[in-house]
Amino acid sequence: MAIFQSSLFSDEMSLLGKVRQIAWSLVFFLFIYATIGFLSLYSAAGGHIDPWAAPQMSRFVLAVGLLVIIAVVDIKWIFRIAYPFHILVIILLLLVDIFGHIGMGAQRWLDLGIIKIQPSELAKISTILCLARFYHGKEVYEVKQLKNLVMPVLMILLPVGLVVAQPDLGTGLSIVFGGVAMLFVGGVSIWLFAAGIGTAIAAIPIAWQFLHEYQQKRVLIFMNPESDPLGAGFHITQSKIALGSGGITGKGFLEGTQSHLNFLPEKHTDFIFTLWAEEWGLLGGLFLMMILGIIILYGYWISFRCRSQFARLVAFGLTINFSVYVLVNIGMVMGLLPVVGIPLPMMSYGGTAMLSVMVAFGIIQCCHVHRDARLPKGF
Amino acid sequence: MSRKSPFSRLSFRIMGEKSDHLNLARGRLVLITAFFMLCYFVVGARLIDATIIQGYLSQQPDAIGVDDQKKQKKSDAQKSGFRADILDRNGVLLATSLKTASLFADSQKILSPVETAKGLVQIFPGLTYGDTLKKLQSGKRFIWIKRNMTPTEQEAVLNLGEPGLVFDYDYHRLYPQGNLLSHMVGYSDVDGNGLAGIERSFNTLLNGSKDPLRLSIDVRLQHILRREVNRAISDFTAVAGAGVIMDVNTGEILAATSLPDFDPNRVTSNPTAPEMFNRVTLGVYEPGSVFKIFTTAALLDLKRTSFAKTYDAINPIREGRFTIKDYHPEKRPLTIPEIFMVSSNIGTAHMAQEVGTGNLKKAFHDFGLMTKPDFEIEEVGSPIIPNPWSEINTLTASYGHGIAVTPLQLVGAVGMIVNGGVRVQPSLVMRDKEGKKSDSGIRVISKETSLKMRQLMRLVVSNGTARKANVAGYNIGGKTGTAQKNVHGRYVADKRMAAFVGAFPMNDPRYVVFVMVDEPNPNKTSYGYATAGWVAAPAVGRVISDMVSILGIHPRRDEVDISEPLKQFIHSVKGEH
Repeated sequence: MAIFQSSLFSDEMSLLGKVRQIAWSLVFFLFIYATIGFLSLYSAAGGHIDPWAAPQMSRFVLAVGLLVIIAVVDIKWIFRIAYPFHILVIILLLLVDIFGHIGMGAQRWLDLGIIKIQPSELAKISTILCLARFYHGKEVYEVKQLKNLVMPVLMILLPVGLVVAQPDLGTGLSIVFGGVAMLFVGGVSIWLFAAGIGTAIAAIPIAWQFLHEYQQKRVLIFMNPESDPLGAGFHITQSKIALGSGGITGKGFLEGTQSHLNFLPEKHTDFIFTLWAEEWGLLGGLFLMMILGIIILYGYWISFRCRSQFARLVAFGLTINFSVYVLVNIGMVMGLLPVVGIPLPMMSYGGTAMLSVMVAFGIIQCCHVHRDARLPKGF
Repeated sequence: MSRKSPFSRLSFRIMGEKSDHLNLARGRLVLITAFFMLCYFVVGARLIDATIIQGYLSQQPDAIGVDDQKKQKKSDAQKSGFRADILDRNGVLLATSLKTASLFADSQKILSPVETAKGLVQIFPGLTYGDTLKKLQSGKRFIWIKRNMTPTEQEAVLNLGEPGLVFDYDYHRLYPQGNLLSHMVGYSDVDGNGLAGIERSFNTLLNGSKDPLRLSIDVRLQHILRREVNRAISDFTAVAGAGVIMDVNTGEILAATSLPDFDPNRVTSNPTAPEMFNRVTLGVYEPGSVFKIFTTAALLDLKRTSFAKTYDAINPIREGRFTIKDYHPEKRPLTIPEIFMVSSNIGTAHMAQEVGTGNLKKAFHDFGLMTKPDFEIEEVGSPIIPNPWSEINTLTASYGHGIAVTPLQLVGAVGMIVNGGVRVQPSLVMRDKEGKKSDSGIRVISKETSLKMRQLMRLVVSNGTARKANVAGYNIGGKTGTAQKNVHGRYVADKRMAAFVGAFPMNDPRYVVFVMVDEPNPNKTSYGYATAGWVAAPAVGRVISDMVSILGIHPRRDEVDISEPLKQFIHSVKGEH
């Protein structure tokens, strides 16, 4: 026990003290958010706990336990494993790519016998930890040096390349976005970003060529969903109709006709926000957005409050990853962004997503618990 | 191990580069957070836009207005007889409401009755001068002169310049296809009340809506079917006929004709007249040997027998006062494919005995033959089922005597047997595209039985009584049935009903085509025969050879004839029935 403690949990704070340090109000908001998810899944199944709400609820209970455990882990330990973990994840991604090609088309899962894992979910977290670890050891003037940009860019592009090859463009982009935001907060020169954004815009026409036809179609449909309301524009048109039909107070719980009559596709996954907003109206939608806003701002606040660069960057990276998903999903269902097939984390049905969000918040909590801890520069 | 507390205030004394680090990171963090907040507010604004501005507000006041307008229009429409259009599956107009002017006179406002009467008689040759003048001088405020004028007539009336002549606008129902679909679409009266067919059963809907009603009918197929049934009637100087084409996977009726028919634009006949009678859905007929399909399917589905098993077809069965015999006895035991191919009554009756009364009734019930079918029009007849059902009824019903059903039921049941064994509901209204597959999922016979039945039905066309229905390359299968007509409780020898029900392509059937001819008489080309194989089967063959070109179904001459494996069970047979 003692040895275990010294390796994982011991850092001058008692376990109980750490548990007290956990931001329980954030856990509470996560709980409200998850409950909204359960209600929506219950409604999506036409007023039944199966097949979606029940498994999601039991997963949440499990995930809260996981969150608490991760929260009290010594942050030094997370700091130490950041590099090896990232390397391991890259190996896993390679395995998926290799076995995926042997198997069929898009294989994102790795079957370990007992559990199936989705290494791309792990890659989101590992990239953030890895970058945070890198910038923790660097002084401000070092960060500004171009040669110190090579490693972080590799840390990002290696997993991204493997994830995109799966192919899973959505996750790949989210890792890139989170990574770039971390470079920004890490202190990379503003001019570099300006140049980068300029290049990215210039590269759009070239990138366009590399998109699959269905991906191109999604973007074109986004520009003008009414051009093909029954085909590729169907999702977004139906989603907007459902939102509009909800009005201010909504149609009432279990009364959402657009969703229940199956006009709304993917109602239990990508379009679950629409289902909620149709039944609970503008007020319900704003309430959900408020809860999400509180959770996200809480994450940024934790990051802001952290004394060590590592914890700060980790909390920031994980929070921005979550907020990107939220923004893209909600933006998508409202027709502000193209349909990219990104779920609303934790509310959409899916075990891996639920676990990965809660693990991320566990790590954020860990940063919060150790907000004043000091970490060594090197290894 | 160090005992230094992480909470020691030491950390606040970190200076220099460290603090630069901190400030830089925090500054940028705030920037990103602010950017996120901005995006978030945009999304929030969009939520308000999507739910309230685009959805609620833009709909709500409008919606109320539209509702009011609709109500207004609706009551207007009901007064003036407006009804929604009826279309075929491809959007061809079957019934429409045309706004027309009718003319009435207010005799108190007529300035010069004599001049007006002269003018009106000139415009409308149907009016007489004396009558018209009398009416115009009667002092009545409302006198009908002419309903539903043509625009030219209306112009001429306007040119009379008589203030006492007033127009009343209302809707006049038109059936552009004339006789083509008289029984299925039906007709309505001048006030816009549906009196028959879809016009009657969907009366409220058609009166209340502006959206057209789309039927499953395909006018092109309807035209072919009606032409060929008509031709069979005139070739064999028959009194009447009927035909149906159904999609076996969806149950959609693509064409249905009952002849003689009438022009719904000018309904003058008594409702009991022969041309007003819908023989497809309302008439019930003893189907004769066509029913052997159902008996055989019931037997095969019990899986107690094989094709090789033989049944006695030599000795007529005597049961009470009845004797069951064959027209062309084969004088030897027959296998099931032989019985089906030559249409042996004795063999089929023996097969029915093996099935048993309970199982046979249950099978007929599953095929929808025992109860009045649900259908979109109200002119639907109930089948006549023996009651009480005794042993002899099992024997006679096995080959379609002593039991009478509507052609609609027959076609529906054959559809279920050939489509793989899944229940379908014959329907006259077009299904949505998604419902293309037969998804009722209610199995009436096994897939295996369905395949065997298709082999048997193919055999009838390739080698049996319906060779004249064959169209090369389309693998048509089917079954003939020639029943003596029962007139006032007596079977009359020379009055027959000749029917053929075919389906194609037998490898994977898509359509059932049924033709029935009432009282055909032999002619020279049929060598004195007036049986179904000579009368109805060729008509179905002609219908199919024309419909495939319209539907774009290519012939498959390379495909194996699925009846080929049955040839081993066929031993020299002469039957021509």
